[in-house]
Amino acid sequence: MSDIILSATNIVKSYSVKSKKIGKREQVQAVSGVSIDVHRGETLGIVGESGCGKSTLARCLVQLLAATSGSVSFNGTIITGLSRKKLRKHRREMQLIFQDPYASLNPRKRVGDIVAEPLRIHGYGNNEKINARVRELFALVGLDVNGLQRYPHEFSGGQRQRIGIARALALNPQLIVADEPVSALDVSIQAQVLNLLKDLQEKLKLTYIFISHDLGVVRHVSTRVGVMYLGELVELGDADSLYDQPLHPYTEALLSVAPELDDGTQSTRNRIVLSGDVPDPSQKPTGCAFHPRCPYATEKCASDKPAFVAVSPSRSVACHYPRT
Amino acid sequence: MPEPLLSVENLRVAFETRAGVVRAVDGLTFSVGEKEVVGIVGESGSGKSVSMYSLLGLLREPNVVIEGSVKFQGREILGLGDDQMQSIRGKDIAMIFQDPMTALTPVYSVGWQIEEQIRAHGTESKHQARARAIELLAEVGIPDPARRVEQFPHEFSGGMRQRVVIAMALSCNPKLLIADEPTTALDVTTQAQILELMGKLQETYGSSIVLITHDMGVISEMADRIVVMYAGRPAEIGSRVDVIRTPQHPYTWGLMGAVPRLESKRSRLVTIPGNAVSPLDVPEGCAFAPRCEHRMDICSTRPSLRGSDHQAACWLDSAQKVSFRNRGHSA
Repeated sequence: MSDIILSATNIVKSYSVKSKKIGKREQVQAVSGVSIDVHRGETLGIVGESGCGKSTLARCLVQLLAATSGSVSFNGTIITGLSRKKLRKHRREMQLIFQDPYASLNPRKRVGDIVAEPLRIHGYGNNEKINARVRELFALVGLDVNGLQRYPHEFSGGQRQRIGIARALALNPQLIVADEPVSALDVSIQAQVLNLLKDLQEKLKLTYIFISHDLGVVRHVSTRVGVMYLGELVELGDADSLYDQPLHPYTEALLSVAPELDDGTQSTRNRIVLSGDVPDPSQKPTGCAFHPRCPYATEKCASDKPAFVAVSPSRSVACHYPRT
Repeated sequence: MPEPLLSVENLRVAFETRAGVVRAVDGLTFSVGEKEVVGIVGESGSGKSVSMYSLLGLLREPNVVIEGSVKFQGREILGLGDDQMQSIRGKDIAMIFQDPMTALTPVYSVGWQIEEQIRAHGTESKHQARARAIELLAEVGIPDPARRVEQFPHEFSGGMRQRVVIAMALSCNPKLLIADEPTTALDVTTQAQILELMGKLQETYGSSIVLITHDMGVISEMADRIVVMYAGRPAEIGSRVDVIRTPQHPYTWGLMGAVPRLESKRSRLVTIPGNAVSPLDVPEGCAFAPRCEHRMDICSTRPSLRGSDHQAACWLDSAQKVSFRNRGHSA
């Protein structure tokens, strides 16, 4: 088996929306031309602000959304454009964990049945076998098996997220896409869930795609990190070197303003507070999408779109003037 | 010592519910000095927002019981009638809410909303109020304020809306600004803009700020003094340097250890075992004891805040705190 578990080439996802002009429709690109490889056993973190397309990209990767163009191969097989039936055997290998543990569990089902559902759908075995597996999963994520007959509302946010994780693990997937899995949780509970995800990865040799807007969380869990801005990947690299020495001005600004514990003694931090807001994706700037807010932008940035190129074996960036 | 601008003494807020009495705030004591930024940090349900709502008289449920004392400029404001409270609220004490979309009404222009507040508390004419509204919008960094003043909240982005809410809060030059999670709904880069703006305005207006947040990072960058709350009770109060550098309460250690850092990668995060206590069932003694790894017999008796400048509600003695804290940090 090769080192690359999932490979995406030039993924574009566009939506048709009502235009401001009456009766017209226009295309908005949520993801525009992202190519990325996911290595087996790694955690690929994807960061970006709301609306940058990180969730849309993740959904396109696991075929929860059909990309407008581009292809995705999983374990060497192209899975874009496969029929539902053919996709099914790949689906069990790629599972999702969602952000909101309140919305992602059916309130009318007992949690034991929620975790058993993927097993039933994929014909795991008879009831006895399924029940044993559900119990095993509950123990694996640190939940009390006595809670199997309860309903989701009887659990706290952190426990519900554990139920969601148990469901995702039910079919022994190779790849887990976690979309903001800890954003809805308090810090003390967030830390429990992050530690759990890490333990499970070691135990089950999982590959994660971890999406979050929280830079600290992404650094903590990721082996490699991709930074997205307005539907594009602007920087990709090893977590450590990307955080220590960001190359893209957007990454640099993001890192400089992330709130950090600060006792007032180190005033050496150089904050780069960007002006303006993230532009509307339907009115994407020409050239580099970041140039209107970039402190280092030149005329070239307004006219020429920088290519996403590798600057070292482990780092890539889309910028005419990467930081050094 | 000069009298503090706001002093809260043993504030208790209880809701009588069908399931029993919920003590949302239980014995909160702190003060805010002139031009001081006090940060209140705690997880959901720790009582940080309820305590602020109660002191502004914004809790109107018939089943709420508010006790204690809140003095604003030396005057007791807890239990004031609606009319008297109205003259303080919005004028001397203003509030910024978490979600700018719900703090603004969608059916009036932002200019109208700012003018309403100015005219409710002052004697300005409609014309003067409009001019002041435009001035305020410019001050909070909204480009082209003369045009934007006519626009409606839905025409603004999240960060811009929060700027409008701040402009409203500042319209009457308040002495005290209460900001309840002002940046939680915003993206990191927008959050940075708003925090920078609040810092700048605090310097020009000289207001004191009470900043409520769940984010240890935000609080450590903004606050002069920090109040850590757990289960409606103050766990620790002290200056920023003291609380961040030498936290005294095991809950604060957990809170700080649980936050993933940008600069260094640790293999595991410190976790606080278990879940936050149910407000219906807060233990007799120390509220944090069931989750505390340093629990002792004495913890079944409720500790009061001990210490002078840097206070903590914990039974550990200072030598124990130092050794446990160092162990926690190196782990």
